[in-house]
Order: sequence, then C-alpha cells, then structure tokens
Amino acid sequence: DQVLHIVPETLQQVHHLQHLCSTLLLDLWKPLLPEDMKAGEDLHIRVPAPLVQEVKASLDQHMISYKILIHDVQELVDQSTPRETSSYRQIPEDYNYTQYHTMEEIYTWMAHIQNNSELVTQHYLGKTIENRTMYYLQISQPSDKNKKIIWMDCGIHAREWISPAFCQWFVKEILQNYESDPKIRKFLQNLDLYILPVLNIDGYIYSWDTARLWRKNRSLHMNGTCYGTDLNRNFNSSWGTVGVSYNCSSEIFCGSGPESEPETRAVVQLIESKKSDILCYLTIHSYGQYILTPYGSTTKPPSNNEELMHVAQTAAAALMEKYGTSYEVGSTSLILYSNSGSSQDWAHMIGIPFSYTFELRDKGTYGFVLPADQIQPTCEETM
Amino acid sequence: IPEVGVKYYLRFATTYYRSGQEAGSCFATVLYLKKSLPEVFIKCAHSQDQKQIQEEDSRFYRYLRHQTKPIIANDIPDSHGNIEHGLLPVWALAIVGSSYVMLEKSTENTGYFLAQIRAAKQWIRKDSAVEFEFIILLHETPTQEIDLCHMHLIWIFGHPLTVKYICTSENHRLDDGSGQESGSAAGTLHEKGGNF
Repeated sequence: DQVLHIVPETLQQVHHLQHLCSTLLLDLWKPLLPEDMKAGEDLHIRVPAPLVQEVKASLDQHMISYKILIHDVQELVDQSTPRETSSYRQIPEDYNYTQYHTMEEIYTWMAHIQNNSELVTQHYLGKTIENRTMYYLQISQPSDKNKKIIWMDCGIHAREWISPAFCQWFVKEILQNYESDPKIRKFLQNLDLYILPVLNIDGYIYSWDTARLWRKNRSLHMNGTCYGTDLNRNFNSSWGTVGVSYNCSSEIFCGSGPESEPETRAVVQLIESKKSDILCYLTIHSYGQYILTPYGSTTKPPSNNEELMHVAQTAAAALMEKYGTSYEVGSTSLILYSNSGSSQDWAHMIGIPFSYTFELRDKGTYGFVLPADQIQPTCEETM
Repeated sequence: IPEVGVKYYLRFATTYYRSGQEAGSCFATVLYLKKSLPEVFIKCAHSQDQKQIQEEDSRFYRYLRHQTKPIIANDIPDSHGNIEHGLLPVWALAIVGSSYVMLEKSTENTGYFLAQIRAAKQWIRKDSAVEFEFIILLHETPTQEIDLCHMHLIWIFGHPLTVKYICTSENHRLDDGSGQESGSAAGTLHEKGGNF
C-alpha cells in the first residue's frame, strides 16, 4: 500500500479525485471527507497495493501530479509496532531507544550494556516486594582517583513510562559519545554516574500487563485487600506529615512507616553508604515539565537554595534551547504541591547538596501516555 | 473577600491542544464561594478568525455525522501514546466534553487532566445531532487519583455540548454524583477551537 500526496490544481481535478476515491473506495487520510477537498490544498490518499498501478495511471491521464509520501505502509507499521519480547534480538546496537520497553527487555539491555562496555558495571541494589532484583548501572572511567558521584533514578512511579525511557537513553548517549565528545570524557574523569533505570519494577510491570495508569508499588496491605505504597511518599523526610494519605486505597498512601517498602530501603541503603561522595541526586518523573528543588514537605528554603536555583535555571534554559520546550523551575512546595516523604527531600536532608526532581514532558495533552515519537525529543532536550 | 469567598484574577495565554501553537489570550475572574459552585467570568481573544474556526468545527462535525457504522473504540491514546488517525476527532470530542466535567469537578485545591479515554461509543441518530458515550479517565492533582467517569454527550452544530456524567474514582468510591452542563452558562466557556 502506498500513500500519495496530491495538490489538485483545478476544480476539475478535485472532482476527478473525488470520483476516484468513491469508486475505488480509497482511504482518504487528509482531508477527512471527500467533499472537503479543495484546489490548492494537500491531499493524502492511501492506495491499496493492487490498485496502485491503476490509480497512478488515472492520475497521469488527467495530468494530476503526485508524490509518494509513504512507499510501503506495512513496512512503516511494522517498524513502529512495539516488539514482542520473545523476538527481541540480542545485540545492543539494535536496541530501539525510541520505543517503550518491557522490564524483561530492560533487564536484558542492562546485562548487555555491561558486557559490551568497559565503562559500565551492573550492581545489585536489592529486591522488590515481589522479589524481583533491582540493579543499577555504574558508569565509571577506570582510574585511581576517588570520584564524586551523581545518582539518577527513573521509574519510581509505574505509569511514568517516559522516565525509564530517559534513563536508558541517557546511558546510551554517554556510552556512544564517550570517545568523540571531550566534554563527556572530562566529566567522567572526575565523576561517576550511578543510574537506576527502573526503581519501581513491580509497578512498572503491572502497568504493562494490567493497569497502564498504576502509580505505586505492589505491596499488600489491609489483610490482603489493597495494594501499593507511593514510593515517593515513603522516604524518611518528614514522613507522613503532609500531602499524603494513610489509607492504602489512595494513590499517595505513604506506607505503614518510613522506609516500610523494600524498594525504598534498597535505595536508601546504597545512598547512605556513599553519601559523602554523592554530589547530586536526580530523580526522574513525568509529567508537567518542571525542575523541582527541595523541599516538598516545607516551604522553608534549603540552606543552599540560591545555588540550587541557579543551577536549575541554567539547566532549564539549556533545555529550552533545543526544541523550545519550557520547564518551570522552583521548589516543590511552592510551584507544585506539598508532599512529605519524597526521595528528593530525603536526599537533601541527609546532606547531598544538589537534589532535583525532573518532571518530563508533557503538560497534560497526553500526560502519562506520552507517544513514543516524543521519546527522542524529550530525551535529547533533557540531555 | 471576607464572609464571601476567594476571588482570583487571571490573565493567561491559550494554545492548541495538540500542536501547542498559540491560540489567543484570555482574561478571567473566578470567585470560589463557600457553599456553591464557583462563579466564572471569562473573555478571550482568539488568534484565529471566527470564520475559520467555524469551518473547522463544521468539518469535524460532518466527519462524525458521516459515519454509517457507529464508531466504537477503546484506549485512546493507547498505552504507547498512539491514536489512530480516524479516531482523532473522537479524541477531540472527548477533550471538549471532559473539559465540562473537569470544570465542574475542580476546586480551589484540585485540578484535572484527561489521562485517557477508556472507551468510546457512538450512537447514530436520525436527527442531525452527534451522540457519544464515553468512559474517561481523569488524572486528579494533587491526590494523584485516577477518576473514572461515564460521560454522555450530544452535540448539535452551532450549540454548546450537552454533557451528562457520573464519576467514581478507580478505587470505586462514588464521588459527587452526576451533573449536567448545558445551555447558556456554558456558552461563554464553549471552546470553538479546531486544530486539536
């Protein structure tokens, strides 16, 4: 099947095209209805394969010029269809970073990235409530130096699919451009990157298999009648005080106590053990287009607020340069809403100087179901 | 305003839903009263001219009226954010309809976005109206809840939509009961934008 782009020049041509569409039952993509065809305006028509010859001959006969917009519709469909996990090929170079991936695919990806790069090592972080293994990737240039660390986690909320997609993209970008980009090499001379592609693994899987808009983890409460704690309300930072619910049926249920969830504890343990070396804590969410600074649990500004804001504003400006996307910068409690027990607040409270929450695209048009064709621009600008 | 409520004065720019292109600016006042629905006054300047907007609305309307078999669909957009080309007008209709629901449900402290259309079903009518039944999912902030609403709408071209709805949160708590939005009050709020 092909899609043809035609701009009819005269009313006569328009009539002929309308006739062609209705007699051959062609699939009109633009405009929506045959009667809306106008001379001088774009037409996109999908022609089924067996009719292609006939249609083109008819167009030639009537001196109507056309361009082929899509040479093979099936090919395009196949390319954009999410891959079945069973047929996923093994080579990392073939990994499609502009598609959303299942957790199984992400596990395979992490193992292969590690095997194929000297810079990357995969590390055990902990186990989820459903007993799945959590891994983070360490990107580190071999050296004797004791380097400072930047930590980034994605996918703390299951439905925010663009977030794990960004973590994967980030790793790819660093590795692909390490050789050619002196900035990246310089960066890695002094810093190690710790990347957790999916924090809430059980929730992420649940959003693929069962409920696309699931947010929390999958811990069981209330005698087995209710699932899920909001992991971003479960950290020990003014836990349970504001912007939370004590009821499991709420999406912002903060859990039975601070760090009650194994996923939270896994992250806490690692970060605590390295906290004197961690310079920056980043946690990636969607949607809203914000770069958020501490705190959510109080409007009292953090001690290094000026510096935090300055860095964030510089980042937002750089981000906007790429595609014009605007991100708002400010403290969570002031520009978004109050919440306690967030990982961002906790990181700053234990002494990590730079702690940011990124809320990626968009501003509500698609919200959580951001189309895969926005993965690339979102990731490129955020990079 | 002591004893009465809180009044907000707003000046904001609008953009087209899908393209993000500028669509004009508006001035509005919202008075949140203690015991009844807020009072809203709004005035907008459209960047596109009214005739063009009418024409696009008309095309949109005729496409939906043109269907000989009722459109029935689920999950718009799908999990990966995709929307079938032929369903874009259905998405657009749901956006307009859900905006009435969201307007009525929102308060000084809760806001909404349309997260997804779970189901859409068209009813073909003998008269000239367009009729659809939807199940829509609304993302509520700051609670982060997903509210499920049954929305029934009727559109007669040139008139504001008639929208009836009933919402529950996905946790099956029945909230607020049903409501109806139609007629004159909605007249000033009726968005006539095409270009979704």
